[in-house]
Parts: sequence; structure tokens; C-alpha cells
Amino acid sequence: MSKTKIEEFDRSIYNLKNKDNYDYKIQKGITKEIIEEISNQKNDPDWMRDFRLEALEVYNKLELPTWGPDLSELNMDEIATYVRPKTKLNNSWDDVPEDIKNTFYKLGIPEAEKKSLAGVGAQYDSEVVYHSMKDDLKKQGVIYTDMETAIREYPDIVKKYFMKCVPVNDHKFVALHGAVWSGGSFVYVPKNVKVDIPLQSYFRLNSPESGQFEHTLIIVEEGASLHFIEGCSAPKYSKINLHAGCVELIVKDNAYLRYSTIENWSKNMLNLNTKKAMIGKNAQVDWVTGSFGSKISMLYPLSQLNGEGAKTEYTGISFAGKGQNLDTGFKAIHNAPNTSSVVNAKSISKNGGKCTYRSLIKISPKAKNSKSSVSCESLMLDDISVSDTIPVNDIQTDEVEFSHEAKIGKISDKTIFYLMSRGLSEEDAKAMIVRGFAYPISKELPVEYAVEMNNLINIELQGTIG
Amino acid sequence: MSSLSLNETPVRTSKSFNINNIKLTNLELPKVIQEFNNTQIVNASSKIIIEEKRTPISLKYGLGEEQTKQVQTEANQNYKIAIDSKVNKDTEINFNFDNNNNTLIDNIDILANEQTNATIILKYESSKELECYHNGVLKLYAKKNSRINIIIVNLLSDISNNFIAIENTIEENANVKYTIIDFGGQNTVTNYYSNIIGDFADNTLNTIYIGKDRQIIDLNYIAELKGEKSNINIEVQGALKDKAKKNFKGTIDFKKGCKKAKGEENENCMLLSETAKSIALPMLLCSEEDVEGSHSSSAGKVGDKELFYIMSRGFELKEAQKLLVRANFNKILENIKNEELKQKVLDEINWRLD
Repeated sequence: MSKTKIEEFDRSIYNLKNKDNYDYKIQKGITKEIIEEISNQKNDPDWMRDFRLEALEVYNKLELPTWGPDLSELNMDEIATYVRPKTKLNNSWDDVPEDIKNTFYKLGIPEAEKKSLAGVGAQYDSEVVYHSMKDDLKKQGVIYTDMETAIREYPDIVKKYFMKCVPVNDHKFVALHGAVWSGGSFVYVPKNVKVDIPLQSYFRLNSPESGQFEHTLIIVEEGASLHFIEGCSAPKYSKINLHAGCVELIVKDNAYLRYSTIENWSKNMLNLNTKKAMIGKNAQVDWVTGSFGSKISMLYPLSQLNGEGAKTEYTGISFAGKGQNLDTGFKAIHNAPNTSSVVNAKSISKNGGKCTYRSLIKISPKAKNSKSSVSCESLMLDDISVSDTIPVNDIQTDEVEFSHEAKIGKISDKTIFYLMSRGLSEEDAKAMIVRGFAYPISKELPVEYAVEMNNLINIELQGTIG
Repeated sequence: MSSLSLNETPVRTSKSFNINNIKLTNLELPKVIQEFNNTQIVNASSKIIIEEKRTPISLKYGLGEEQTKQVQTEANQNYKIAIDSKVNKDTEINFNFDNNNNTLIDNIDILANEQTNATIILKYESSKELECYHNGVLKLYAKKNSRINIIIVNLLSDISNNFIAIENTIEENANVKYTIIDFGGQNTVTNYYSNIIGDFADNTLNTIYIGKDRQIIDLNYIAELKGEKSNINIEVQGALKDKAKKNFKGTIDFKKGCKKAKGEENENCMLLSETAKSIALPMLLCSEEDVEGSHSSSAGKVGDKELFYIMSRGFELKEAQKLLVRANFNKILENIKNEELKQKVLDEINWRLD
């Protein structure tokens, strides 16, 4: 059989490096003085300055996780936690500096905005450089802006919800986030407003040896609905970069939120992100996630089903290649009767990459008549890769229907043989099978992103078959 | 009063999930280990040599340092068993606990030589009122082409503490089958590790448990597949009532080189009360491409439709529940060919479900 070996694939779009041309870059490390300086630079109100300093204290007290990937190469003394690009927040692409604008053009963001989005936010290093939203949504009272503006203009809402859903003592990197956060998006959808076209925020980290700590806070009021998409990428540097963002989703009674992510960080990135949704009565949150990039990822979105009849679905795929350790999964906590969770997780490991699916499904004594169904499938594309499945199922009452299934294995020789007998090359046959494997996820994405995901799978596979 | 941290999983997950190990507090551990003189060996034969001989212990996992050390230094029952040919009758070792023999620390070492075939039953039994302590290690080395069937029956009282660590090494084309009936003990903690090194080696582990009152059941099963076309099949069926709690940790680890190996794990927990708790961590670890691994885990109460059907035939709710639980257990109970023992287990199931 013919075999190909292409060690490096073309990531030129994502690897575009601009000169590290910042307006301000804080010194590396994490100390009280550095946190105070970030607060000064951002003109924080007093409550936020105090919040940051308290979070720093929590950060200093908490230990690194005793489980999951080895994080020993992360040295916070080598990371600059705040890098302000040389521009202000703009609402026209024309006003964005040329180099930054070119990056986002090449990533296709303004194009997507024209074609299929109701609003766009674009963050470059630590600050949002572009934000806009269609006028009709503004008229309906929808707010979509960067977090700094939200703190200034909607202090009561932000103060009410900021890091209440994800408390700073959740784990060490949430505490770090609380201390150094910058940028991110704030979305508020008023009662009964349906936002039919997605909003998208794109996070780009350009500066080497730095971190991105954006905060996303979305509040979907009763009966409202929203589809929010986040994308992220960075060029590859030789030293470690850190991403420790935080996403808080408050979805009230009868509301709906779909949160889609295509994550394509560079392979020197430690992606230690935290996402959580609080879901009200008869409300629903669907997560759609594609994890392709980063050196190490630890990401387990949490749906807390607090209202009777609340629902959540998680559809996710991870694709780990050479040098990557993607430890991802999902958590659902059923806290009310008649709640339901559905998990469909897939992973592909190749070229020595490691994928781990890690999860928690917890059905508390209050969650009578709840249902949970979990399915995870792992595909191994060679014998030097690793794929682990580590699910915890904690069932604390009898009136439940809970099932969990997992499968692991390689692409079936019979299927490859069948496709090759129809004239396909081995590579094409394998690529077709992998695309089919990923299809249940890609079909959940808007078409532009499904195409991007398929391209990513194609790119990744070129380096692997053989 | 003592506290113990036992049964660490081979791979840790988040501490907040409370599953990486089990912490037992307020344990009444025996300070002095008395002799244990009420062991009965049934069907001893020349084909199976049972010596009362202490063997050194080294376990890859085990329950924990303290428990292993206790067996190493304080075992009051030591058996070295060598199986030399095909043995037709089941060999039974019955540990009968009574007022004078309520603490058992046993160290059992079994060597199944090539081409041998045997069934060994280990039964731990006490009256319902007797508080017992059992801490044991069972090591089995199954050589090429051996076929070994081991049945472990825990019929201790519910105020006892039961700890057992099992470690198997399974060579080429050997077939090792375990059936574990795990009923007794305020705390019953089992560590099971199979090192499946031989090509075509096959290991089956079937477990039944019933938890009642405030019983705590902690099962940590680990199978490492190393041989080509080797196989592990784990089936765990259980029922929990009252405020009983069960932790099941099952790990199938496909090591590099175990081409065409298969691993399957199925865990089902029937919840018979709204206060019973079931935690499961069915892990698949995989460093080999050409394998087939799967696990499934389910929990919930027995089906309403099935209950309705049985009750429409004139059975009361409790009887109908018993029948359904028994139906789930039956496939595993079929592994017990010894009718007397099987009846004892069935009686115990009935008593526990009453």
C-alpha cells in the first residue's frame, strides 16, 4: 500500500506572526505589584481592584492539580499576563491597525461577519480591538460588548454575575484568571429576545511568552435565545504561552444558548480554560466544541442544571497530534427534577498525540426523574499515540435513567478495504472515515466553521497516514 | 479508632469527584492478631498441593501500604497452592468465622502449572451478629495453557470489615475466570489487578454485590493487557438499598504491543432506594492502536414495565423486585456449579433483599 509521511503540515494562516508591537507589556511574573499595575493600566473600579487582589491570595494558596497532564513546564515567572496592543477598541475594521487587521482578515473574521454573523468581537493579546453588532439587535436591547466597557457601562449587571458562576477558589487557574483577567465579551439578551444569527468572538494571542485571560460573561434572560461562537488561535513560538480564560453562562428559565468553540491554539500553548453554565427551569444549553490546537489542554465545560426540566447537550471532538496532550471532557450536575444531559464525545489521536476524555455526571438526590446518556468514542490512528477515557458517574438517587458507553479502537481494516476497492487511495479512504467519524460534531456547527473543521482534519491527517 | 485511605486508582482524576481512593474513618482495627483455627479444606487431592507456608508479598497495586504490610507481617493463615494437573472436583477453602476466630489475615499464593485445570472456592462466612475483620491477599500465577476458575464468596456479617487484594499474572493461552460474590461487611473493599502478559491469555471477572443499610462497597479492578490477542471481560452486577454506597472503579489498560487485544467492561447498578448512592469510574487507557475496547455503565431503579408485568402475575412489589434483581444476577450465578454453595448464595440474596 502506498504511504505518505508529511511531518509538518501547513499552518501558515494560524502561524502568522506579527512583530511583538505592543503599547504596554507588563513585566513577567505574578506578584501583588504586578496585579496592582494591571489594575492601574485598566483603570479598574475599586471593587475590581480588590477582587483581583483577593483572587491573587487564593491563587497563592491553591496547589496545582494532582491529576491530568504534567504542567511542570509552566513557569509563571516567564509569563507576561497583560499585553496591550497599539490600538483602542474600534467599531470599524478600517480603524484597526494594518498588521492586526491583516491577521483577522487572513483568519476570515470580517468575511464571516459579513456573511453569517450578527456581531463580532476580536481580541488581540489582552484587549479587544474590534467590536460591532447589527443595529436591529441593539434596538431590541441586546448588549454585546467587551468586558471593560461592560464594567463601565453596566456595572450593576457585571457586579451581580462576575465570577459568581465560576468562583475564584474553583481551582488554581481560575484564581489566576480572577487576578489578571483582561478582555473578553459581555452579552446580555433581554427577556424573550431571540437572536437568530450567531455572535462570534475571536481571540488571538500574538505576543510571545505571554498569557491571554479573557473573560466571557453571557446572560440570556427568560425565554430568550442565542448562539455564541468563540474561536481562538495563536502563532507558534518556542516558549510556552498560557491561556486561562473563563466563560460564565447564565441561562434563565425557558431560555436557550448554544455555545460553539473552535479552538486552534498553537502547539506551544497551555490551554487551561474554565467554562460553566447555570441553567434555569426548562432552559437548555448546548455545547459544541472542536479542540485541535495547544500543547496541553485541560478543559471540561460544566452544565449545572438548577431548574426543573433543564437540559444540556455536549457534542465535542478532540484531535491530538504530535506533542499534544488534550485532556478534555464535560461535567453535568443535575440539581433539579426532570433534568437531562446528553454527551457525545469523540477523540482522534495520531503521531504520538494523547487524547483524554475526562468527565463527571452527577445526579443529586433532588434530581428525581432525570436522564443522562453518555457516549464517547476514541479513534487511534497509529500505535504511538495514546487515548484514555476517564469518566465518573455519580448517581445519588434511584429515579434516574443513566447510561454510559465508550468505545476505543482503530479504523476498521474492512472499511478501508471496502473504500479502496471502490477506487479510493488508502489516505483518501482514511480521511473519509475520519470525516465521517467527526460528522456528528461538524454538522452541529454553522457551515463556515464545519468547513474550517474539515480543513483542519484534512491538514492534520496529511501528516499522519502511513 | 483508625482511618485508612485505600484503593487508589491507577490514574487520578479531579479530587473533587471523590473517587481517586476511599477514605474510611472510625475503623475498629484489631490491635492483636489472634490465631485463626477454623478453616476447612474440602476435596484436597494429590493433584493440588496445599501447604501452610508463608510467601513474601509484593503487589503492584494492592489496597494500600498498611493493608499489604499487615498481611506480610501478621497473616494468621498462609497457603501456598500448587496445581499440578487437571483437577475434576472443586477445591474449597472455607474460612468459618466464630467468636474465637473473628480476625483473619490470609495470604494465599496459587501457582497453576502448564496445562492444568482447576476450580478453587474461597468462602468467608460468619453469623449475622458477629463482628469480623478480614484482610487478605490472593496471588495467582497462571502458566501457559492453564484454565483456572476461582470463586470468592463473602458471606460475612454486615458489621464486619472485609478487605481483599487480588493479583494475577496470566501467561500465554491461559484462561483465568473469577466469580466474586461480595455481600458482607460494613466496609468491603476489593482490589483486583490482572497482569495479562501472554498472547491469547484470557481473563474474565464477574462480580455480584448487594449493599444494604449503610454498607460501603469499594471495588477497584485493574486489567493490563500486554499479550497479543489477549482478552479481559469484566461484568459487574449489583443492587443497592437503604443508604448503601458503592464505588466501582474499573480500568482496562491496553499496553503497547497488545495487538488485537479485546477488553470489555459492563457495570450495572440497580438502585432500590432513593438514598442509595452509586459512583462508577469505568476507565479505558489505550497505548495500542489495533485493539477493541468498550465499556458501559448504567444505574437506575428496576424497570417499571418489568415490575408491572411480574406484579400482574400476582407477585407483591418486594417479590417482583427480588425476581428482577435475581434475573440480573443469574448469568453470573451460573458460574457456581456447586449446588450447595449456589443455594447458600441464593438464600443470602433473598435475605438481603427482604
